[in-house]
Amino acid sequence: MTIFAAFLVLIPLLMIQMGILSNLPLLQGYPDIILLAILAWSLKPEVRTAWQWGIIGGLLMTWVSALPVGVYLLCYLLVVAIAQFIRRVVWRLPFLIMLVMTILGTLLTYSISLLALQLSGRNLSFGVTFGLIFVPSVLYNLLLAVPIYALMGEIAKWLYPVVSTYES
Amino acid sequence: MNSTSRNLQTIVFVLIAVGMIALALGGYLTSVSRILLNPLVEVQAWVYSRFQAAQDLLRAPQDMARLQQRNLQLEAQVSQLQAQIIELQQQLTEARILSALVDFARANPENRYQAAAVIGRDPSPFLRYIIINRGSDDNIRRGMPVVTQQGLVGRIDAVTANAARVQLITDSASVVNAKIQPSGAQAVLKGQTSGDLFLDMIPQGVSVGVGDLVLTSGLGGGYPPNIVIGQIAGIRSQPQDLFQSATVQSVVDFNQLEIVLIIVNFRPVNIEPLIPQGTQP
Repeated sequence: MTIFAAFLVLIPLLMIQMGILSNLPLLQGYPDIILLAILAWSLKPEVRTAWQWGIIGGLLMTWVSALPVGVYLLCYLLVVAIAQFIRRVVWRLPFLIMLVMTILGTLLTYSISLLALQLSGRNLSFGVTFGLIFVPSVLYNLLLAVPIYALMGEIAKWLYPVVSTYES
Repeated sequence: MNSTSRNLQTIVFVLIAVGMIALALGGYLTSVSRILLNPLVEVQAWVYSRFQAAQDLLRAPQDMARLQQRNLQLEAQVSQLQAQIIELQQQLTEARILSALVDFARANPENRYQAAAVIGRDPSPFLRYIIINRGSDDNIRRGMPVVTQQGLVGRIDAVTANAARVQLITDSASVVNAKIQPSGAQAVLKGQTSGDLFLDMIPQGVSVGVGDLVLTSGLGGGYPPNIVIGQIAGIRSQPQDLFQSATVQSVVDFNQLEIVLIIVNFRPVNIEPLIPQGTQP
């Protein structure tokens, strides 16, 4: 059921990403709400399917994007791994962790994307892209991290009702 | 005696009454009647207004419900009309775009076009690609040029059954062989991370100026010749450099792309096998 829910959640988010948010750049930066959704999902203590969501999100983005195959998959799985690690290490997971992970996850994803594009022969300068893409995208993602975290919290409560009730 | 006195009184009353009526009809009692009737009229008006208020109070719930219902109906009608206005405005915009595209297609009868709507953009901020709603089912093939009535947009990069991905000329991996008018100089147009266009490899000694037109040259077989790209916005020329370079202002607003035309009768030529080994990037 939770795997099926991944498609139900991530596909509409992908459509919003491609149809709306990619048309609203901040300088040249866009938000990545798929990354935020996977991140928020991975940080929820009751969630057991973070890896699956990371794979599905990565495959969906690979399908629609012209980035070299597998880059998004690799990025999202790394983000899930870091989020899972933090979830184990930090006993309580306040909302601040989501914000910190948003910054880390965005920088990691875009660094890997940039590296992959440079390896594929594109002449992209880190200096230029940092100012035009990295910083605006981080700010954009921080702005959207709040509603996405809340949305994923509601979905987690809906999909894991017993655990949520017990914890509250 | 008594009866005579009564009859006399009656006659006197009748005479007085007739006299009063005659005086009233003659208008001699107007001031007197005004003094007497005014308080009565005011009292009557007060009584009637109280009655009306009581009647309104009793009928109010019925009217209120009816008015509320009518108000709701009118509000719904207003919303419906507003939605119709928005839809019509959208249709008008689309019709204008399509009309311009039809004019463009008529002006260039050597090409066959397929119109497509832009339905999305690549989610990666490093790339400049759009997604359109035409694919292999509509005979769209990889490499086909994409234009608008203003000029060159890009070319088809990937195709599915009913959608395709278009690489814009502003993408950092896009390279277009171009020529500058009126000098006729050949150059290479490249996309930039910032979304700008950069014209490179302009031979030294060729006179180019701001405002010169940049068109596709057709060299390399990637694009048909003579499609407008833009105008030169700035030139960088150093005597020690082998080539001049320039920035180009595109005629197409890539942020407002809604409908594009695919040139379906153009088959790109792959010249990579003809390039000697070791010189390919």
